[in-house]
Amino acid sequence: MNACSLRQKAWSPYVAGVLIGLLQIPAFLLISTALGASSSYVTVGGYLAAVVDPAVSQIDYVGKHMALTGKNWWQVALVVGIALGAFLSMKLSGASRKPVSPIWSRALGTPSPVVRYAVAFLAGFIMLFGARLADGCTSGHGISGMAQLAVSSTIAVAFMFVGGIATAVLVLRRI
Amino acid sequence: MSLLSSILIGLVMGMVFGIALEKSRVFEAGMIVGQMQLRNFTMLKVFLTAVATGAVVLAAMHGLGLIKLAPKATFYTADVVGGLILGAGIALAGACPGTVLAQIGVGYRDALFTLVGGLAGAMAFSYLEPTLRPMLLTGGPGKLTFVELTGISYEVLALGFAAVLVVALVALERWRPWKSDLGTDVDGDFGPTEQAAGARGAHLKAAE
Repeated sequence: MNACSLRQKAWSPYVAGVLIGLLQIPAFLLISTALGASSSYVTVGGYLAAVVDPAVSQIDYVGKHMALTGKNWWQVALVVGIALGAFLSMKLSGASRKPVSPIWSRALGTPSPVVRYAVAFLAGFIMLFGARLADGCTSGHGISGMAQLAVSSTIAVAFMFVGGIATAVLVLRRI
Repeated sequence: MSLLSSILIGLVMGMVFGIALEKSRVFEAGMIVGQMQLRNFTMLKVFLTAVATGAVVLAAMHGLGLIKLAPKATFYTADVVGGLILGAGIALAGACPGTVLAQIGVGYRDALFTLVGGLAGAMAFSYLEPTLRPMLLTGGPGKLTFVELTGISYEVLALGFAAVLVVALVALERWRPWKSDLGTDVDGDFGPTEQAAGARGAHLKAAE
């Protein structure tokens, strides 16, 4: 019973995966786009950069992402909703977590939060640089692109796992 | 669809996405690093299930003529290099660009640094984009899919692909039941037994 009650602490990965996959229905029918997350970083980053460099929106790539279109702001709302949903889910199940995941002291070989924050900043930087270069992330290329049988997405996802596995094995310590 | 309704739809969809990420633990750094170290398979299970489900619903909607597909254009070098860099970032972040927000939602402080780094990385790429475009993001075969490569219809190919994924997932689940990958607490740390055993050993040694 209640394999997916909101009060439950854990759902099976298959229930979660089906739910995420079903989100393609409203994405395609209502917004005429596929699930994705990394474009929103250019939309929000563009507005932040414009505070110090108002000319940033004249870069076509940035201007396109900053435009007040449903697609651009739907994706920004989507990632904000992800934070709200995760918060809600945690509260409803009564789960609580430490300020930093306990795996990092093992993966990085130090319990220092400052080291973790520095690594996290660098990781975020290269993650989004790579995602924008490849034109998609785990959502846009992974979940959406592979479901659409795109060659670009299949290549990007394969190399995403190659890069991820190589880094996790060679740079991080065993968790 | 107006801007406001697009935003409201995005918020609701994001909340469903966030709930699924939190309940399945796949947004946890332990699950992502664990997957990349090939010691935890939660991420692959959620990911492949979402791809298979997406393929089925897109095949149905496309078959009914309700939607137009929007595959991304292929640029071989950008896809390979971008994919490699993205993967390295995912391993070190213990997150994907979307799941960082779920980490922030549950209160992980390091995720705020990942987010700010992500915004900086996205803008660094944006400033370089006019320079990179002629080198890496022009030409290429365009929006190439396996439909063009095989000549099989999207519906048949997508449903076949989904079927293959389901078989792979059943095999994966038999080899590695999902409950064994959850860990003892909610924090995605699936390795505490090993560590506790190690700590007990150290404690005993110290007592001797």
